[in-house]
Amino acid sequence: MPGDDHLHNHDHSDVPSDLALRVKALESLLVEKGLVDPEALNVLIDTYETKVGPRNGAKVVARAWSDPAYKARLLSKGGKAIAELGFTGRQGEDMIVVENTDTTHNMVVCTLCSCYPWPVLGLPPVWYKAAPYRSRAVRDPRGVLADFGVTLPDSVEVRVWDSTAELRYLVLPQRPPGTDGMSENELAALVTRDSMIGTGLAKTPSTKGST
Amino acid sequence: MLKAADVEQTLRKGGSARVDDDVAPKFKPGQRVVARNLNPLGHTRVPRYIRGRSGTVDRDHGVFVFPDTNAAGTGKSPQHVYSVRFEASEVWGAETGAKDAIYIDLWDDYLDPV
Repeated sequence: MPGDDHLHNHDHSDVPSDLALRVKALESLLVEKGLVDPEALNVLIDTYETKVGPRNGAKVVARAWSDPAYKARLLSKGGKAIAELGFTGRQGEDMIVVENTDTTHNMVVCTLCSCYPWPVLGLPPVWYKAAPYRSRAVRDPRGVLADFGVTLPDSVEVRVWDSTAELRYLVLPQRPPGTDGMSENELAALVTRDSMIGTGLAKTPSTKGST
Repeated sequence: MLKAADVEQTLRKGGSARVDDDVAPKFKPGQRVVARNLNPLGHTRVPRYIRGRSGTVDRDHGVFVFPDTNAAGTGKSPQHVYSVRFEASEVWGAETGAKDAIYIDLWDDYLDPV
C-alpha cells in the first residue's frame, strides 16, 4: 500500500486521512438525506472490486488472439463483439478497439477527466486519473511509455486516443512471441491491464507472473 | 433512489449518449478540419490544446447528444461525432515525434472546414 514505506517520525493515530474523512462525511449526509441507499453503495463497490475488472478485457484479448473472425468483429464493431462475452454496461456503451501492430502503437488517455471502459477494465487506476498522466500522455507519449518501461523504435507510430467524447477505447495488444498453441486461458494470463490501456505490452511467457 | 436490488441491472444496461436522430454529417472521413477556438464559460469537451489546430477526419462515430447544450439544459442538439487525427507536429511543433498523432473525438459544432 502507498504510505507503508513512509518515515516513522510521527505519532501514529487512528485518524483517517482528510480525503477519507471527507468521503465519509459526504456519504453520511447523502444517506441521512435519503439520497443514497447504503446497501446499493455496497453492491456497487462489490461489483467493481470483485466482478468487473481487467480480467474481463484479458478474456476479450485472448479470444481475439485465438479467433481471427472474432478479432475482425472486435475491430469493426467493438461493443457488439465484447457483448458476445457478456461484458456490457455503464461506460462501455460505445466501444472502439484499436490494434497494436509492428508499425502502430496505441495508447489511451482522457485529458479532460478520467473516461475509461469500465466493463472490460473496471475502474481506472489512480495514475490514469491524475494530471501528470493526462497532460503528458498527449504531449510526450514516448516519455510516458519509457516511464512504464516501454521503449518503441522510431519506426513505430504512436497514436494517442484522447477519449473526450462518449466513445471508450480498448487497446488490443500484440500477441507475444512464443505463445503458439496456448489456450485462451493461458493467453489471458499474459494480458495486463496496462497493455489494454497502451502503457504496457502483453507479457511474454518467460516473464509470466513477474508482475 | 437506486436500490441495491437494481444495481446490477442498472450498471449492465448503461446509458448511451448515442441517439437515433437522422442528422446529416457536416464532414466526412478524409476531410481536413480545424478545431474552433471556443472558450465557453460552461461545459465543453473540446480540449484547450487542440483549439485552432488542423486535423483530418478519421472516422464518423455517428450521432450523439451534444454535451455543451445538454449540460446547460438548453437541449440535446444531436450531431455527429468524429475521430479527428491531429499530427503531433501540428499540435506541439515540428521537432516533436514526426510520426506520432493524437486522435480526438469531436462534435460537428467544434469543427470548421479547412
